[in-house]
Amino acid sequence: MKLNERSVAHYATCDSPPDKTGFLFKKGERNTAYHRRWFVLKGNMLFYFEERDSREPIGVIVLEGCTVELCESVEEFAFAIKFDCAKARVYKLAAENQVAMESWVKALSRASFDYMRLVVKELERQLEEIQDASGAGGQQGRPKPSRRNQMARSKSAASSSSSSSSSLSTSSSAPSMSAVYSAQKSLQDEVQLIPGNSRENGVAWSKPPSASANGSGEAAPSCGADGGRAPPVPPRRLGASLESPVSPDTGCFSKLHDWYGREVEELRVQWLQSQ
Amino acid sequence: MRFNEKELVCLSRQPSEMAAELGMRGPKKGDVVKRRLVKLVVNFLFYFRTDEEEPVGALLLEQCRVEREDTQIFSVAFLDDAERKYLFECDSEEQCKEWIDSIIKASYEFMRRNLIFYRTEIHRLTGKDPLEQYGISEETRFQVNSGSQLMARDTSSL
Repeated sequence: MKLNERSVAHYATCDSPPDKTGFLFKKGERNTAYHRRWFVLKGNMLFYFEERDSREPIGVIVLEGCTVELCESVEEFAFAIKFDCAKARVYKLAAENQVAMESWVKALSRASFDYMRLVVKELERQLEEIQDASGAGGQQGRPKPSRRNQMARSKSAASSSSSSSSSLSTSSSAPSMSAVYSAQKSLQDEVQLIPGNSRENGVAWSKPPSASANGSGEAAPSCGADGGRAPPVPPRRLGASLESPVSPDTGCFSKLHDWYGREVEELRVQWLQSQ
Repeated sequence: MRFNEKELVCLSRQPSEMAAELGMRGPKKGDVVKRRLVKLVVNFLFYFRTDEEEPVGALLLEQCRVEREDTQIFSVAFLDDAERKYLFECDSEEQCKEWIDSIIKASYEFMRRNLIFYRTEIHRLTGKDPLEQYGISEETRFQVNSGSQLMARDTSSL
């Protein structure tokens, strides 16, 4: 399967901020020795370089759908990245100390796109609640804003760049009531715009075509409801119940968070017991 | 550059945000339009020959630009080589707009910016940091100035 490798490698080294970096030992595939590599975590992509100042990564591990566990190993502070697909490779890594290990395990288990999406949805929901609570008029009982932050996004129909160079712009203006009201209103518009078509938990089956879009029924992207050609049904992840850290159906955010917290706790207990 | 192909193929079978048969043309001169089943899963765009289970290829949608090329055509290009465009021909203007919209929102970076926006707004309106309760408020990726690893506890810097 092809991948836009050059651009992916560029993503590794471009100036978008990494989520975590550091040295880890990585067990080789054929050569089973552990090699020290420089790791860069960006989003759901874990890149590894020969050296800290190498210009290009040796490789990348796409972390979507993975679980992270402690593993028994001659090597101390070892953990493994595992995937729930047939004949998946297990990536064995080891940190240089306990603190680093825990930190990496935490970061990697929360690196998925799905997780990020849940956090965003949760905050979006909270913001909506707050706005609803402050009343339809939008003008009572609001704390005086000291700073106004507005999302700066190019919204031109022609092009939109998702590069990291577009940034938040802050503008402070006199907090007159009308200005504040319109800021609230545009915020609400923004909030509607951001998630676009609402999807359950941010993960949906292929959307059924709207009547206007695919009237001819050709190449219908639905899950088969309208009899059009549907993509192959993805297999349920083995052992994943409807609500689990790796299931995209896990709706309750705080429950998901408990799962993650518990995972880390368990790892800690396991490690202590293995001492 | 090595990558975990098997797992990526597995990912291509997961539920998708959008999937449709589109006309797709590669970025190289001389590439022709081919019908492909195009499927958006998290921040990847997979494309399949219409009768095959395994994708022909995948495009990671970070650091990319999506543009409207024509009423029914959009392009995806990557910032490291912005002239190399992958072209996608849709069946309607509506479909084209939907795809553009979805792909723009399909990047981790996009979500990160949203999250920072919401966090800042909630903090502004309530005086509280919404990430505090989840114990993730210190994580680098949620900071306004994500470059710095060390952030002061003082959330007025948000």
